[in-house]
Amino acid sequence: MDRRTFVKAGCISSASLLIEGLDPMVRAETAQPPVPPIELHGLPGYKPSPLGLPGLFPGRVVEARDPAAIVHNRVSQPVVRRLLELAMRELTGENSIRDAWAKFVEPKDIVGIKINPSGAPACCSSPEIVREIISAVQSVGVPARNIVVYDRYSYEIDIGSYQALLPPGIRIVGIQEAFAAGGEYEPNVYCDANFFGEWETRSYMANIVTHEVTKIINVPTMKDHSASGVTGALKNLAYGTFNNVARTHRAPYTFTNPLIGLMCTVEPLRSKSVLHIMDGMRQVWHGGPLTQVQDFIDQSGILLAATDPVAMDTVELEAIERKRQEKGAPSLWQQDPKSITSNSEEFYHDASKNLFFRQPGHVAAAGKLGLGVAELNRIDHRRVWA
Amino acid sequence: MKKETVPRPHFADWPTLLKDNARSGGQAQRVVHAPERALWQYRAGASARSSPILFDGVLFVTSVDGVLHAIDAATGLAKWKFRAEAQVHSTPSLCAERVLFGCDDGKVYAVDRHAGTKVWQTSAEAEVWASPVSCNGAVFFGSADAKVYAVDAGSGRTRWVQELGGRIYSTIYATEQRLYVGCGDAKVYCLEAASGKVVWSRPTDNGIDSSPAVAGGLVLVGSEDFLFYAMDANTGEVRWKYETGLGIASSPAVSGDLTIFGGKDGFLYALDTQTGHLRWKAAAGELVTAPAVIGEGIVCIQSGGTLAFDLASGKLVWRAALGGSLQSVPVLAGDRIYLASLGGEIYALQ
Repeated sequence: MDRRTFVKAGCISSASLLIEGLDPMVRAETAQPPVPPIELHGLPGYKPSPLGLPGLFPGRVVEARDPAAIVHNRVSQPVVRRLLELAMRELTGENSIRDAWAKFVEPKDIVGIKINPSGAPACCSSPEIVREIISAVQSVGVPARNIVVYDRYSYEIDIGSYQALLPPGIRIVGIQEAFAAGGEYEPNVYCDANFFGEWETRSYMANIVTHEVTKIINVPTMKDHSASGVTGALKNLAYGTFNNVARTHRAPYTFTNPLIGLMCTVEPLRSKSVLHIMDGMRQVWHGGPLTQVQDFIDQSGILLAATDPVAMDTVELEAIERKRQEKGAPSLWQQDPKSITSNSEEFYHDASKNLFFRQPGHVAAAGKLGLGVAELNRIDHRRVWA
Repeated sequence: MKKETVPRPHFADWPTLLKDNARSGGQAQRVVHAPERALWQYRAGASARSSPILFDGVLFVTSVDGVLHAIDAATGLAKWKFRAEAQVHSTPSLCAERVLFGCDDGKVYAVDRHAGTKVWQTSAEAEVWASPVSCNGAVFFGSADAKVYAVDAGSGRTRWVQELGGRIYSTIYATEQRLYVGCGDAKVYCLEAASGKVVWSRPTDNGIDSSPAVAGGLVLVGSEDFLFYAMDANTGEVRWKYETGLGIASSPAVSGDLTIFGGKDGFLYALDTQTGHLRWKAAAGELVTAPAVIGEGIVCIQSGGTLAFDLASGKLVWRAALGGSLQSVPVLAGDRIYLASLGGEIYALQ
């Protein structure tokens, strides 16, 4: 069996497992269209790394928190520095910060920092956290010129003003422009599936991931997502690395489950993604990923660190679910057709409305693909306080 | 040595970011009514992330794919195109017979405005997104390499280089003696124009993306720390500051005693220049990162589309769906508006 056949077979089996095994009630009530066959093509001959997902510490998530981390919507650089240090020590068991980071990056690495600027300026990867990560990576001996902060859309990076806010010497790259096709993508590494009869059925992996960086530090935000339930470590990697992903949504349906997890299994994305630092300074509990409505953004002052994106997103999912409950909003798992609206204004201002039947099951599905631990009782959730 | 004749600007000319080095942004241009028709539409072929400028009936605009376009403002037809070797985000500016702009590979080009041929180029060590500014025979620009460069306007030869503490995306405000610029290290700097020596620097609490204006002895600039500052132009002392809801990337436009800028919180603010008191605040509907421009009795911004507000009250006068942009500024010329959009369309509206 060659790699292509193997992957295809594996995916079909995973996909059907998800539909039949995880959310039977969802399937019955919402008539989600069946998942089509999905073909995955990784980089031929790529040797998987032991640092790859779920990484050095499967199932471990460190949550660092300080109410002073964000005050009047401004993130405190010194508090964030302390939180990141605490989290990295706890995650790795190392006393020295430099040793903690050296578990993931070496001086010869080209380090990609995958930010999430979508939702800027209201909620995106905080430049303050990104600055601390850059500084930590440099402390291991990686020169500034070998650090690249990137995301898919350059216009979203502009809105976040990352160019002006990050230190000189590092590169800041938007893989493609907002409305144009193009960008640099590897034609031999892709996911192929026809979800809704679209004419282009492939999503290609960005060259920056395939060929340029040797390690990825993932900096997702803590948000609900109208299609996938939450957008966390998994989605930031998957939908921020492959192009042509909007085709997986056609309201009210979405194939984020199982596609998010499947994309994260594709090499070299899986092997290069060695560490996830989730920015929970702001927590969007409704209207994600793009909302600018402050009523639905809680200033939580949380930072999570993990090598296991599934465990991290499970913790995130619980946190957002708890917040929604606290605010009287319906569960992320709710699949009531009455909650669906096609009016985006209504969605942005009413927490009981949604554009899609959310698919938070994509996190557990990724767990079943071997990307990490999705069962809460198996997650080693450690809390540290500044 | 041949003496260069500096063309005399026509009333409708708009040779640099926000019209002139004083960032006056239009002032007496008449666009009281909503545009009724498009005179022409030009496709740049790639996203336009900068602002157009207008001189002697020619509109100059850069597109991200590295092209400087010279477009006949009457017909919308290309007169010429100059292709640089890297992406371009910089707003062009006019310096005598040359169009200047920066590039993502660190180069700054001077291109003959008639022929579209390169006259000179100079290089920084990282991308130049800011617009080069010319004053007194020198051209000044900042770069992401954290340095401010002064080069000879005729030859492009370096006069001096001054290193600051962070990346520079802010366009320099130049006077005969002084330069003012915001920096990614959170500081506003005042430099000697002749030597680049730092006269003063004043910290804010986050990086600065906005380009300063100077009026009434004050340096006016927004910061990503959510505050808009007025600093004494001579000493850097903060005279007043005004708090908004999010970061400020939009550069201010100044008209009489009014200073106007947009916020990422989606509002347009009009403040009294001398006191910082709020005159009015208007919801733009979307975040505002582009500078505002002032016409006769109105103020225009590009956000989700193009919007015009009454200058005195802040009331929305008209809104056009065209011209969605992040950084671009409409050029107001008589009864015409020229717009560049994020999608790479250039429009002339009447």
